Amino acid sequence: MYNNGKMKFWRAFNFVLLLAGSLFMIAPLFWMISISLKTMEEIYRGEFTFIPEDIQFSNFTDIFTVAPFGTYFINTAVITVIVVLANVFVNAYIAYGFAKIEFKGRGPLFIIVLSTMMLPGFITLIPQYVIFAKLGLVNTYYPLILPALFGSAFNIFLLRQFFKGVPNSMIEAAKMEGANHFQIFFKIALPMIKPALFTVAIFSFNGVWNDFLGPLLYLNDESLYTLQLGLQVFKEQSNTQWNYLMAGSLLVLLPVIVLFFFFQRYFIEGSNILGNTDEK
Amino acid sequence: MKKFMFLLMASMLFLSACGGFNLGENDSSGGDGSNEEGDSEETTASGSEEAEEGEKIVLDFWTYWGSEQRRPVIDKIIEDFNNSQDGIEVKHTYVPWGDIWTKNLAAIAAGDPPDVIINDINTVKLRAQEGQIEPITEYLDEETKNSFYDQMMEASTFEDEIYALPFNTDTQILFYNKDQFEEAGLDPGSPPSTWAEAEEYGNQLDIQENGDFERIGFYPLIGAGNDVWMVNALGENYITEDGEVNINTPPVQDTFEWILGQKEKYGENTITSINSQFENAQQDPFMSGKISMMVQNANYYVELRDFAQDMNFGVAPLPEKEEDSGHTSWGGGFVAEVPKGAKDPEASAEFIKYLTNHASQLYWAENNFDLVANEEASIAAAESDEFSDKGQEVYSLMIENMERTQLTPQPVVAPDYASTINPVFESIISEKTDVDEGLEKAQTELERIVENNK
Repeated sequence: MYNNGKMKFWRAFNFVLLLAGSLFMIAPLFWMISISLKTMEEIYRGEFTFIPEDIQFSNFTDIFTVAPFGTYFINTAVITVIVVLANVFVNAYIAYGFAKIEFKGRGPLFIIVLSTMMLPGFITLIPQYVIFAKLGLVNTYYPLILPALFGSAFNIFLLRQFFKGVPNSMIEAAKMEGANHFQIFFKIALPMIKPALFTVAIFSFNGVWNDFLGPLLYLNDESLYTLQLGLQVFKEQSNTQWNYLMAGSLLVLLPVIVLFFFFQRYFIEGSNILGNTDEK
Repeated sequence: MKKFMFLLMASMLFLSACGGFNLGENDSSGGDGSNEEGDSEETTASGSEEAEEGEKIVLDFWTYWGSEQRRPVIDKIIEDFNNSQDGIEVKHTYVPWGDIWTKNLAAIAAGDPPDVIINDINTVKLRAQEGQIEPITEYLDEETKNSFYDQMMEASTFEDEIYALPFNTDTQILFYNKDQFEEAGLDPGSPPSTWAEAEEYGNQLDIQENGDFERIGFYPLIGAGNDVWMVNALGENYITEDGEVNINTPPVQDTFEWILGQKEKYGENTITSINSQFENAQQDPFMSGKISMMVQNANYYVELRDFAQDMNFGVAPLPEKEEDSGHTSWGGGFVAEVPKGAKDPEASAEFIKYLTNHASQLYWAENNFDLVANEEASIAAAESDEFSDKGQEVYSLMIENMERTQLTPQPVVAPDYASTINPVFESIISEKTDVDEGLEKAQTELERIVENNK
């Protein structure tokens, strides 16, 4: 119904609207970059300038002399990789069972699993700490990794919904051909729910990479510290080294951004999945 | 694809197993140095020595001093201590500011606390009552007990037992911009001495354009809270150690009237905008000349020294309510203490004594411009060549100010009282409640808390 002129107008209008929206969203990031390149003198003077008068690229190298961010990076990466892989595999494995295998007590068991979502993490924090302390595992990575090996209710629920979308007829057919559940799980079911697996991976990556409380409680040895703990050295009682803090935060943010661009498609698909329950 | 997935998972399980194991074992072996890169050889050597002697105690020492200014200073003190004797080896761990105490509580609950920790001085009594710290009285001689500022030592004592030794403190003083004083026709050599003068000088220093304030001369609640002014007016905290509450009293009423009077002049918007700059701490209205006088923790000098080199400022005691009511100031500070369940309290106390002795405290003071708790060390620091003339001037004022500085240890009869009644004070300042009604409410509420805890 639209003639060309109207069409053009609306496209331009949308474009401007989106541009304004994204500028608004991205402004804090620019502000962060701006601060990370300033001197403390300039920051304290409090003028609202985006372009630093004396650009300090050295902030990005100076921070490595304050704390061993290289070590922190490796530590964080190790924990993150393990936890993300564990989250994807373990939860998919459990979810497949709930979705596709009939067994006695499946319903009640699933409800019990789901009910663990009702417990806020803060409540279990101290008891869990005491347990790990009794096991002698404080000051190791075990407390940060082991819980991921036992599944998380939310991910199980999410993946179960996806596995339910895998047609039973396919599974029956595979069974007829002599496949067992392991083979069906690996060869048929998993590949079919790839977007959901990426969703779980991306969200758990975000969670682990940015986790502060877990490493804070469980790690006592500075050589085991993660990036989020390391960033805190720039904040003290009364003063904060904003330029260093922002430089450090940008470096910590970098992998998240890189990952986003790499998996952008899945990321957005994943968010849609979460927003929309009736997948087909 | 499936093979790849399988391999990935297998390798992940393997990784998680051995990765965890290695790291786990490395540090449970204690004192060995795989943690500190660079000097691992050295530490391994001392590690084997330890094994031979089998006697050396390794103490875990937690601080929140991780910054490039503080860390080297504390590390040097620890190194000197480790070299000064053979029985104890102190291992320093930085834990983020604020969270360090949460972590400490969890560690005490799990029976695996650090051996020495730096903690808040105003809550020592509470921790002592809750059984979260070990008393150290028996390890201290008279000389040690008497080497600190009295009010700090008092705050570290509960029911005649000493639970901590004070490390550093701070005190609130008035900072003022001398150039702006001159410009407004005031004498840069004579800062305001009373509340009335502060207000009057403030009026002269204000700059207004089209009804908007371009510069604020003085507003009491920039840099300091109403509690500081209440202490200043009363000469002591509004709740005493045994739970006597003095909120609904004439001095406190005057305090709020005085504050509200000036708030009316500047208007809500001006105040909010200046305060938000202060709170996000990314800008500094005093450095940028938007405010001429303000009360701040004296350590603020360091920020002026480092980030506003050209600024011509003066320092003075807090203005007093009226002549001879006293320039009472407020201070806080930190102590070194032994968490409950530490493996060897005597060894911990040994290290704490070293941390708070004259030499260590002087070294800390000179390098951090921090007011140290060891009185003689602080007096020596005021004359230190490490400080500029300005630095010596500020440091001397800090020491002088300690005579009239009140600490506000939380009384055990009203733990965490501030969080309950601060909202009442806030509603007075935001003019939702009038002064008399608000103070009466705060008085009754705090009295009730005391009653419930007795």
